[in-house]
Amino acid sequence: MASLTLEHVCKRYDSSKKNQDEALAVNDVSLDIQDGEIIGLLGSSGCGKTSTLRMIAGFESVTSGSIRIGTKQINLLKPAERNVAMAFEGYALYPPLTVSQNIAFSLLRSHASKEKAQARVKEIADLLEINDLLELYPPLLSGGQQQRVSLARALARDADVYLLDEPMSQLEPLLRAKLRARIKEHLIARKMTSVFVTHDQTEAVALADRIAVMSDGVLQQFGSPDDLKERPANLFVASFIGEPPMNLFRASLRIDSGRNLLDVTSDKGQALFQIALPAQARWSGMAAGQKFHLGLRPHRVRVGEGAAATSMTAGLTAKVVSNHWLGDQTHLGLEIGDAFVVVVTDGELSHAQDQVTLGVPIESLHLFDAATTQAVFHGPDMPRAEQPRHRVAA
Amino acid sequence: MSHLALNRVSKKFGARKILDDISFEMKRGETLVVFGPSGVGKTTLLRAISGIMDPDEGDVLLNGRSVMDKGPETRGVAMAFQNFALYPHMTATENIASPLRSRGVSESEIQSKVKEVAKLLRIDHVLSHLPRQLSNGQKQRTSLARSLVHNPEVLLLDDPLRNVDAKVRYEMRLELPRLFKRFQTTVIYVTQDYKEAMALGDRCGVLLDGRFQQLDTPAQVYRHPKDTRVANLFGDPPINLVPTRPSKMPDGSLHTNLAGHEMAMPDARHEWAGRDCLIGLRPEHIALHATPQPGAMQVELEAVTPFSVRNVMLLRAPDGTEILASTPEDHPLHNARGQQRVWASIDMKRALVFDRQTGASLLAA
Repeated sequence: MASLTLEHVCKRYDSSKKNQDEALAVNDVSLDIQDGEIIGLLGSSGCGKTSTLRMIAGFESVTSGSIRIGTKQINLLKPAERNVAMAFEGYALYPPLTVSQNIAFSLLRSHASKEKAQARVKEIADLLEINDLLELYPPLLSGGQQQRVSLARALARDADVYLLDEPMSQLEPLLRAKLRARIKEHLIARKMTSVFVTHDQTEAVALADRIAVMSDGVLQQFGSPDDLKERPANLFVASFIGEPPMNLFRASLRIDSGRNLLDVTSDKGQALFQIALPAQARWSGMAAGQKFHLGLRPHRVRVGEGAAATSMTAGLTAKVVSNHWLGDQTHLGLEIGDAFVVVVTDGELSHAQDQVTLGVPIESLHLFDAATTQAVFHGPDMPRAEQPRHRVAA
Repeated sequence: MSHLALNRVSKKFGARKILDDISFEMKRGETLVVFGPSGVGKTTLLRAISGIMDPDEGDVLLNGRSVMDKGPETRGVAMAFQNFALYPHMTATENIASPLRSRGVSESEIQSKVKEVAKLLRIDHVLSHLPRQLSNGQKQRTSLARSLVHNPEVLLLDDPLRNVDAKVRYEMRLELPRLFKRFQTTVIYVTQDYKEAMALGDRCGVLLDGRFQQLDTPAQVYRHPKDTRVANLFGDPPINLVPTRPSKMPDGSLHTNLAGHEMAMPDARHEWAGRDCLIGLRPEHIALHATPQPGAMQVELEAVTPFSVRNVMLLRAPDGTEILASTPEDHPLHNARGQQRVWASIDMKRALVFDRQTGASLLAA
């Protein structure tokens, strides 16, 4: 187990391209990963996350920059010399070996005793519920089972760093929640430094201590799941993270007899409502007329009884378009003027209501500069009003 | 009178019963979600209603009259598919207009109807595009527009959001109820996603082995599943099913050892004493505390995995049983890392009780 450091790492697949910036699959990515940390590389296809992982593994060369494990630079070493364990898509199981032999293979090759290898296979098989599969051959397994075996083979090894490519994309729904948690416990308890790639934010948020969000080869933000939700660095992260992501509007700042007001409009320009900011809400460069993208986090906006108490709006109501109770949470689709707004609550809202009062507390609010799209203000950084979280009557 | 009714519909493929004596009735404008894993007969059911396939036995009635003698095109039933099934050489406009053209509707009416439905489905800006120029989300919106444009009596939707990305699926899930209401059409919606089943259905039919294992409101199915199979299909994280055998105390009340923790069973029935049961605990009905609480079970918190707007907590009970709890996002333990001792309060009043052999709920009357 060791720390892992990426410094100004770039990857260019085709060096002949004239416009050099455009050809960068990975563009100046630096990550400082602590010993024992679990890191998720998250983004859509083509964002550079898999290229980054493959450069750490040694399957791709690094165009510029350096990669270190501990204090040792590794990016010029062969994959086998890096002491990393991998579970990659297409990094196939050996078909002539049983599942058990597949998992033990690297351990035995690195001169572990037979007893140690067997104990390790048993432990990891229990963890991933593949006990019944140990004597089978890989071609007989379903996609989900193969994925678990591939993961088992990587986790059973002794390595400095564990690299996992979409490790849980095919897990069976009934097993998913439990296996995710068990794997996380396993990694933490053994201080296994791990980096996994996923396009699925559910998986990233569930497992990772910190998540590197990538887009177009560029690192957008590197932070904890809480950071990404409560302090998105820019409009891209704000619109990408969260299930559902933030509601986005346009806004401009007006200063009226000492009060700071935000005039909120829809994407199409319709005036929707006004927000009266508390006096403590300040940011550098604050000026009348300043224009923003305004984000309201669905889970921080309040509805129903008591919603108005901590709201920065007065008498804001919305039309209920849909009201979906999912057992442990309710998702509301609402209309304010020509804008569609989503609110999520832990409770349940009576189906009869076709109009609700909306509360917009400071902790729901995020502002991004209209021109640069970089974050300028996050409501969750302000002291919270002492109010129970928005539960609506069950 | 019911709008759509199925009366004892059965269908066999070889020796295998795909639909096994299915009957139900729907009111006009109602949405029924047919939910179940793949291969249980959901699509076969839609094909029998649409007339694409004849059942071996039984009757399909629309407005009280059998439509078994009518072909698919004259039943007043429209269908949209998970693979979109658009004509590749036609623009979105022409695809949407196709059911109107085959019915001889005037050109001006076609234009206005296509525009109206396209606006509702937010594809009015891509009407001149060919299917290959559309995203999967736009393709499915076009397919839905085509099935709605001629105001069908009954709309059959075969897992329409299966092939669109998660973001579009989420948006469409919120939009669809308004669309259904607007067209006042009777909808049967097939899905493998329990969230769609809970969100979209006035009622939800859980199809297993060719039969409705349970057909009820989504709230009823979630809160009072008929058996463990149904209980397991709803909820993510899934329900905990803990084996137990209740026993009678000297004072006549029932107690049970739940995963190594002695608990009273309020509202228990005497006939459960000595019976092998499964206690069903929804993860959101388990509250976690960092300090001891009266009656709470001492457990090891093994891992916290944040999930959407909640946190999934993996617990290890005194006897080693794993239990999943789900807590609100801001729970004080949501940043716990590594194992620690915590206390779990279990709301036994909300616990479900099943027979361990048959899986059947013991709470039903």
